[in-house]
Amino acid sequence: MGEKKKIVAFCCENSSYKAAGAVTESSALDLVDIVRLPCSGKVEIGMVLKCLEKDHPGVLILSCPVDNCKYITGNLRAKKRVEMVKKALQNAGIDENRVHMDFISSIDTYKFVNIVKEMNDRLLNTHPVNR
Amino acid sequence: MITAVQKPFEEISEMVKGSQNLLILGCGSCVTVCMAGGEKEVGILASILRLANKEKGVSMEIVEDTIERQCDREFFDDVKEKIERADAVLSMACGVGVQFCSEIFSRQIVLPALNTRFYGATEQQGVWTERCAGCGDCVLAKFGGICPVARCSKSLLNGPCGGSQDGKCEVDPENIDCGWQLIYDRLKSLNLLSRLEENEPVKDWSSGRDGGPGKIVREDMLL
Amino acid sequence: MSELKAGTNLERVLQAGHFAITAELGPPKSADVDVIKTKAAYLKGIVDAVNITDNQTAIVRMSSIAAGVLALKEGLEPVIQITCRDRNRIAIQSDVLGAYALGLKNILCLTGDHQVFGNHSTSKNVFDMDSIQLIQALKNMRDEKVFICGDEIKNSKKAPVVEPRIFIGGAANPFGDPFEFRVIRLAKKVNAGVDFIQTQCIYDMERFEKWMKQVRERGLHKKVKILAGLTPLKSVGMAKYMRDNVAGLTVPDYYLERLSKVEDKAAEGIKICVEQIKRLREIEGVAGIHLMAIEWERRVPEIVEAAGLLPRP
Repeated sequence: MGEKKKIVAFCCENSSYKAAGAVTESSALDLVDIVRLPCSGKVEIGMVLKCLEKDHPGVLILSCPVDNCKYITGNLRAKKRVEMVKKALQNAGIDENRVHMDFISSIDTYKFVNIVKEMNDRLLNTHPVNR
Repeated sequence: MITAVQKPFEEISEMVKGSQNLLILGCGSCVTVCMAGGEKEVGILASILRLANKEKGVSMEIVEDTIERQCDREFFDDVKEKIERADAVLSMACGVGVQFCSEIFSRQIVLPALNTRFYGATEQQGVWTERCAGCGDCVLAKFGGICPVARCSKSLLNGPCGGSQDGKCEVDPENIDCGWQLIYDRLKSLNLLSRLEENEPVKDWSSGRDGGPGKIVREDMLL
Repeated sequence: MSELKAGTNLERVLQAGHFAITAELGPPKSADVDVIKTKAAYLKGIVDAVNITDNQTAIVRMSSIAAGVLALKEGLEPVIQITCRDRNRIAIQSDVLGAYALGLKNILCLTGDHQVFGNHSTSKNVFDMDSIQLIQALKNMRDEKVFICGDEIKNSKKAPVVEPRIFIGGAANPFGDPFEFRVIRLAKKVNAGVDFIQTQCIYDMERFEKWMKQVRERGLHKKVKILAGLTPLKSVGMAKYMRDNVAGLTVPDYYLERLSKVEDKAAEGIKICVEQIKRLREIEGVAGIHLMAIEWERRVPEIVEAAGLLPRP
């Protein structure tokens, strides 16, 4: 096996991506591969599943706060898709917690770090073999 | 278009059990439009199957492809080799495509990933509803362009039964509009209500399913 | 008096201008003949004819023709209900010949409840024709002496024509939507050749009277005998069930209030029913009543008696 795969974080460039960029020093940054999206509404079911299929331990979808999407409902669309992914994982007997969605603003650097760390801890508990 | 929905994952998983080399074959026509069996859905199903197999420790090579249409012979040329190399084909086409694929590759096991539903329209994004029952003897001219055969739960030709309430059908008031309410409203707005006073005789169903499997031959098109 | 079409008791009563009473007898959900005998005993001599339902609400019961023959033996005159849900035109015409041969001469033509409401909700339905087309078919069998396909009703070229002479009934639901279509449906049934109509059970008398007004405006009451449907309320629970679960039925609040105020709900329900009968008799064009006392046949005699409709002609 090659190097350990990281958590993939799909980040909206209007919020979580900026928050991630403002994190100066944190071990959390070493735990994630950040993918910049113009809006979390760009996230697709297939993209999320592909990450898991490629052995990334987990996927984060980090969108703008619920009522504050630049494209008005992009984050809500993302939320519905995440629900679909979770349902599909459940049906296939796979831990749905490998996918997690959260809503953060561009100044929530602290929250960003916490979300990543918490995700990592959850995955360590449920999927120790993957690490 | 012909509409379809994906079968429950468990059923698909049971069907493909034992396959070592599975081809998931999408269809680029109707089922792509109704988001059940196009390229995107092929990718998603393949991913989920791979993940599930990994979880269970099952080894199964999964190949993905999508052709323009599975109800026309020529489009299969591009995937001939992939089909022949696979030990099973999981077709994401409608029932027509699945059968045609299995007819062309008669030695192959071809499995359906979808449940084919009806001839429908995209009512709004994410919602498809039935419009035609394929009776082979179109009556739309008489009913203001709304089909009582397809859109009345009892295919009544002489008006609504007592189960029509507030524009809804008692069979499923949340999801089914009363076709006859629609016909009534349309003809009223067209000032053609008098048409509804005419007794409609028994219908000739022989041009549809009741006449046996259908066949159309166009002499001028035959080679 | 014009010539009788089928010569049944129901036809005679209606022709003579008497206020007719029909009741309903639901066949058993088993092969238990005693159920029919018991129910028949309550109704004998009390009503002019008794509807034998055809797998009502799509729940499997003894066939209406078989139960009809049993009821006939018990001294009742049956009205056989035939729905279009379970049989195509071949089976229905065949059953009509059979029913007639067995002495069953009143037939009520219905479209039939959709099977989703019954105990075999996953079954396939037929609906080859609808109730109006069925009426037309029976009329053509009786008067034109032909089947739907146009063939004459005889056993061979040289054999005599022996057509089923049926007194043809239909149903009307004045409470379904669209309201204006309801009278059009009735007109179509009259065009098709229906002889009598039994309506859906009535609680909303005002809407029924509005519908009857439309019926009279078209002169339909002169072409067809209309029997107003009634179902006595047994309890508040039943009233609420009818109101909330039967499409096209409204049960006005004042009936619910009356029932909830008294100790003996059944007696009050019957009292309401009798009052309704009296009011219905005043409406021009109402030729009788159709009492659908659902699994309550034993109370029919007292209703008929209290309404002053005994003895029967």
